[in-house]
Amino acid sequence: MGNVNGVELAIFLVFFVIVTAMGFLAARWQRGDSLDSLDEWGLGGRGFGTFITWFLLGGDLYTAYTFIAVPATLYAGSVVGFFAVPYTIVLYPIIFIFLPRFWSVSHRHGYVTPADFIRGRFDSKLLALAVAVTGILATMPYIALQLIGIQVVLEVMGIGGGSSSTFLAKDLPLFIAFAVLAAYTYASGLRAPALIAFVKDTLIYIVILVAVFYLPTQIGGWGHIFDVVSKSFTSFNTQNADAIGKGAASGKGLIPPSTAQWAYASLALGSALALFMYPHSLTGVLASKNRSVIRRNASLLPAYSFLLGLLALLGFAAIAAGVKVTNPQQAVPALFDKEFSSWFAGVAFAAIAIGALVPAAIMSIAASNLWTRNVYKTFIRPDATPKQEATQSKLVSLVVKFGALAFVLGLDVKQAINFQLLGGVWILQTFPALVFALYTRWFHRWALLIGWAVGMVYGTVAAYNVAAVGVPGSHFGGPLALVPFTQTKGYIALTAFVVNVLVAVVLTFVFRGLKVAEGVDATRASDYHADAGDPGVEDVLEGEPGTAPTAR
Amino acid sequence: MAHRESSSGVGPPARTGPRRTSRAWLAVYVCLGIGIVVPLLVFLYDQEKPTFIGFPFYYWFQFLLIPIVSALTYTAFRISLRATERDRKAFGLPADERPQDRGKDD
Repeated sequence: MGNVNGVELAIFLVFFVIVTAMGFLAARWQRGDSLDSLDEWGLGGRGFGTFITWFLLGGDLYTAYTFIAVPATLYAGSVVGFFAVPYTIVLYPIIFIFLPRFWSVSHRHGYVTPADFIRGRFDSKLLALAVAVTGILATMPYIALQLIGIQVVLEVMGIGGGSSSTFLAKDLPLFIAFAVLAAYTYASGLRAPALIAFVKDTLIYIVILVAVFYLPTQIGGWGHIFDVVSKSFTSFNTQNADAIGKGAASGKGLIPPSTAQWAYASLALGSALALFMYPHSLTGVLASKNRSVIRRNASLLPAYSFLLGLLALLGFAAIAAGVKVTNPQQAVPALFDKEFSSWFAGVAFAAIAIGALVPAAIMSIAASNLWTRNVYKTFIRPDATPKQEATQSKLVSLVVKFGALAFVLGLDVKQAINFQLLGGVWILQTFPALVFALYTRWFHRWALLIGWAVGMVYGTVAAYNVAAVGVPGSHFGGPLALVPFTQTKGYIALTAFVVNVLVAVVLTFVFRGLKVAEGVDATRASDYHADAGDPGVEDVLEGEPGTAPTAR
Repeated sequence: MAHRESSSGVGPPARTGPRRTSRAWLAVYVCLGIGIVVPLLVFLYDQEKPTFIGFPFYYWFQFLLIPIVSALTYTAFRISLRATERDRKAFGLPADERPQDRGKDD
């Protein structure tokens, strides 16, 4: 890249500065009494209507993951990355099934986090702690992915990133991304991302529509793009036949080989099951007005999947346009740089960067709320004042971002999608305790806890042992590993999940047989069906942070 | 205030609700089941031919799945509205005065 394009950078900066200013002003928008209490800082005072809520949710779903990581996998010739499309297709029927029950029980009991619910349902602080810690941990690589998104945009614009430059200059874009994110969230909580979301989504839609409908015509249309890509992959495979045979390189293809079909399906299913286990997604769902809104939106949201699929294919468009980058994450920004006029490239880069910034802010806030509510107030200082809670939240939100930074610096960023998939390996292990528990109290709390622990260890070890292609001895190189007792590769998260469930089922029988205390369930059957307006249902959740969930 | 009786689990509405809701919920889950299972049957569409406006089959088929699954989910939503209404009585929740407004934003 090297040279900085003045117009591009200027436009980018104008948009970025406007949004930054908004973030700080947002602290004053619709403001409650003070930003010093956790409810104010972390949940935006809970005054958001349904529209804003779903706007925020959309912001979580279409991020640097969509713009950078998924197209990068296609650019790199790994068509398995297109799993993002079936992932977002099966996601909505899945959430249709269980999220309304979660909404109901949470609104009856004032639960704000998944860990709140688990503590009420199983009467187990420890199981709630496990779920909270997993949420915080799994959020870090997901935020890391967003940092990479901002980083590559800055690199393509020519700010740092050159291989010959010093350490500081090389990682400068990353540190800028980190500093901006930290400053935002620290100063203004969830309000900043909420207000920015409007600007962001407007910008993003303009950029997406231009990128997926206009840009391909400039390269010769989709038919031409697929032709060029097909030839390019075939010649790559011929030239590198030896390396591919030895496993030192991956073969490329327009469609997955038949041996990769389970990998594709398991990545899609595992990611779909995992998404609404993340604290930020669940908190967003709780803010919707009544339980049916979730179901109606589940049938409308797939419209986004269509754009996601076309964006993914920009990875192919970049190949056809002759974009040559060594880091595949730069494929889409480099494509915009090449094909768009300077000013529109600036707009597009601002859209991508802001699109990564907002969800990163929401995620770090959700993770820090989890800490304050379910760890700090439960285990460390049950009598903390609202001000102490808010201070904790702010500090932990910063810690979570440092964790994300550590992931970026510690792992291979060439396949950024692995970050999201690694988060999935962990967060999916909370599924049995959270989702199964919405339907049945059959599982024993200790069995769930041990199942979770086994799933976490199995998943982490399996992911650690995956070496990147062509780099023997490296770790966390991909999301796929052989499914035990088979010769088929599958998504580690799903395999670990199955192990987790098996352990939980077997141990439930054991603990039942030993008559180990099961705890008292604070919920009852009708709680899972209650809707807005019913007795005992809070329209807006304002449960004082940290109070033990109580039935009423 | 704890409710010991609830530890037996909630159970699907089918067990407690009238027979007509269990058939409605069956329809809902069939719609959703198709939407979840078909996109995961990769062997169904893991091929390049026939192409459509330049897109290999693999790609356009998955794009086609999006509106299909969306329609199935919407159908499930409409059926679930009525079934939910009948279930509410079974769970001792007050009857809804305007069930058709459920799921609307305002």
